[in-house]
Amino acid sequence: MTNDKTMTKPGGVSRRTLIKSAGAFGTVLATGTIGAPAVWGQGKKTIRFLNTETSIDSIRALKVACAEYEKQFGTQVIVDSVPLDDAFTKVTTSLRGGQPYDIATFAFVGHVLLLQAEGQLMPLTELTSKHKWGPKILFPVKDEVYWYPYDYNLAWIYYRKDLYEKHGLSAPKSYAEMLKNSQTLTADGRFGSLFPIGSNGATNWLAPGFMWAEGVKLFDDKWNVTLDNAEMAPRVTRYLDFFAELYKTMPSGASQASFGEVLSNFSSDKVGHAAYAGRIIEALERNAPKLATQYGITPYMDSTGKAKAVNHGYDGWVVLKTPNSDESMKFMKWFTENQYINFLHTAPLHFQPPRLDVYDDPRWRAHPLIEKHKEAVETMRGFITDKSVILTSIDTEGPAPDLRPGKVFEGFVIPEMLQNKILKNMSSAECIKTAADKMRKLIA
Amino acid sequence: MSSKATIYGFLFVGLAVTLALIVAPAVYAVSLSFYQMDSFVGAPKWAGFANYAAVLQAPEFWRALVNGAIYALGSIVFQVILGIGFALVLNETFPGRNLVRGLSILPYLLPTVVVILTFKWMVDGGIGIVTKAVEAMGLPPINWFESPGAAMASTILVSVWMWTPFVTTCFLAALQTVPQSLYEAARVDGTTAVQRFFHITLPMLKPILTVVVLLRAIWMFNKFDVIWLLTRGGPVGATENLAILSYRHAFNLFDIGGGAAIATISFALLSVAVLIYFWVFPLEDD
Repeated sequence: MTNDKTMTKPGGVSRRTLIKSAGAFGTVLATGTIGAPAVWGQGKKTIRFLNTETSIDSIRALKVACAEYEKQFGTQVIVDSVPLDDAFTKVTTSLRGGQPYDIATFAFVGHVLLLQAEGQLMPLTELTSKHKWGPKILFPVKDEVYWYPYDYNLAWIYYRKDLYEKHGLSAPKSYAEMLKNSQTLTADGRFGSLFPIGSNGATNWLAPGFMWAEGVKLFDDKWNVTLDNAEMAPRVTRYLDFFAELYKTMPSGASQASFGEVLSNFSSDKVGHAAYAGRIIEALERNAPKLATQYGITPYMDSTGKAKAVNHGYDGWVVLKTPNSDESMKFMKWFTENQYINFLHTAPLHFQPPRLDVYDDPRWRAHPLIEKHKEAVETMRGFITDKSVILTSIDTEGPAPDLRPGKVFEGFVIPEMLQNKILKNMSSAECIKTAADKMRKLIA
Repeated sequence: MSSKATIYGFLFVGLAVTLALIVAPAVYAVSLSFYQMDSFVGAPKWAGFANYAAVLQAPEFWRALVNGAIYALGSIVFQVILGIGFALVLNETFPGRNLVRGLSILPYLLPTVVVILTFKWMVDGGIGIVTKAVEAMGLPPINWFESPGAAMASTILVSVWMWTPFVTTCFLAALQTVPQSLYEAARVDGTTAVQRFFHITLPMLKPILTVVVLLRAIWMFNKFDVIWLLTRGGPVGATENLAILSYRHAFNLFDIGGGAAIATISFALLSVAVLIYFWVFPLEDD
């Protein structure tokens, strides 16, 4: 039998002493832990950043930048990453729930306008005014800019240069040439082209380019729907008739194709033409290096061969009015001055800079892919500097930035117009009338 | 603690959880349907029954209602017929029966998104394995989603693929409660297998059939994930049901009140349907 005393070894510690010490240590630890949040809260600020660029490189770059910021300034920046479609809901519900995000990413100007109208956004003019920007990207409201656009995601047409050379084709300048080229490339187990027609964002982004080149406008200066008026209807008819013919050169499944299918079909040599932004080049480099030197890019074309267009696309950051707004503004200022190019490099060809100074910045140009594809990069730059290239999209149509074209975008009016023509064999006139009626209803 | 106190304690906790997680959000959702709201930010404007009037006048609503009914009916019929068939097979004795029973539940265990993405890549028009197999057999390509009818059929097909195992498991469990003596007596009377199925098996399965059909009907009518991931309600709204229409109004078309109104009408329709169902097919106590 033993007791406390018998457990004490020469030079050792008795069990009683051990328990007392542990108790004292526990008390100190508990007191410290309980007190810690208050001290922590006083000494360290935390801001929440909602990111929608979900590639591992972009998330990593953001987290590294945030860790660097915390090291330098002591403010913790927590990055949450969600798919783009969920961003607006996350932001609005976080506002309503009382724990708002301080910084958020959006890819639709309507969301920015909606939050701005509710007084939820900080103006970012002091940050954007330092630089020269490309066209149709700042979307100012009463001379104030409420977001910091970080990229263009313009959609243009990719074609296979090697197949063009083999068949003696040249880059298409008109609907007829595009159709002929696509028909020619429909051979050897390959389809001529893939342009999605489903009710999804991919169709909204990648299919209307031909319509913009044809000079179609969705609204007049007073927000009246013009799609079916005497001037536009014949243009839309030409677009629909052309698209119906082009559809015959596409693989089955175009009605369900989204971004992934377009990328994979072009990079796996299954189609000769596809539309996208710079992501395709990155995909070719990663998955099909042999094809990475065999692509050409060209804008969408009209029926006469006179006009060209690219479909608008963009992303940007907003700073929300929260108790942390000042700290968020400081972070945005630091990030856009010190980390912006690092961030762009996480998708070097897909994140096309809207800031014109970046194109001549040796730090940006130093990326190996930008260097390697400098010809494509110059063409991309030309899409925003060449005034003859029409730059528009469903969500940016109309006389001013507004929520109404956003409703047309989210209502999948143009995709459904294509589906009515192609899948339901409706006449073009009927398709146009149905689409215009739906637009009027959506924006009423 | 007395047994009565224990019972009331559990009852209180159960009611509190139900109230907080089911009743309160449902009441809130119904209340939203009386307001005009672009988003969850900003002050809602009282709209009375305007959202209901607008929704009921929209052809999209009636189309979604019909689509939901077709999808639910089509899915349930195939799930029940195949589920009973598989259950009858799995109820027989054969080598490796336990393994086959385990494998048969597999599609139900997979996450919906995995099943849908697998299916979409399998039937991809350019590189899908099914497309390639069809091509290798010299058959014309199958247009899984290229017409409204085909898209609906594909959606039903995927639902049947996913949930038939659940129905099979329910019926298999029920089959094992049918006394063997009934079959033995019937055999002595010289009945055929078909007669035994219709006069013994099916009547004995009736209670579970009633519950399974009811559950499947509710789940299929409200189904969102499969249709959203597969077709997003397209083409041209051909697979859009009330759940998807409600979501699109609330989160895509900046019409939260309209979305809530659609969800409320859907809830009311289902409640009425359930009452009618139990009136026609009452569950007996014994």
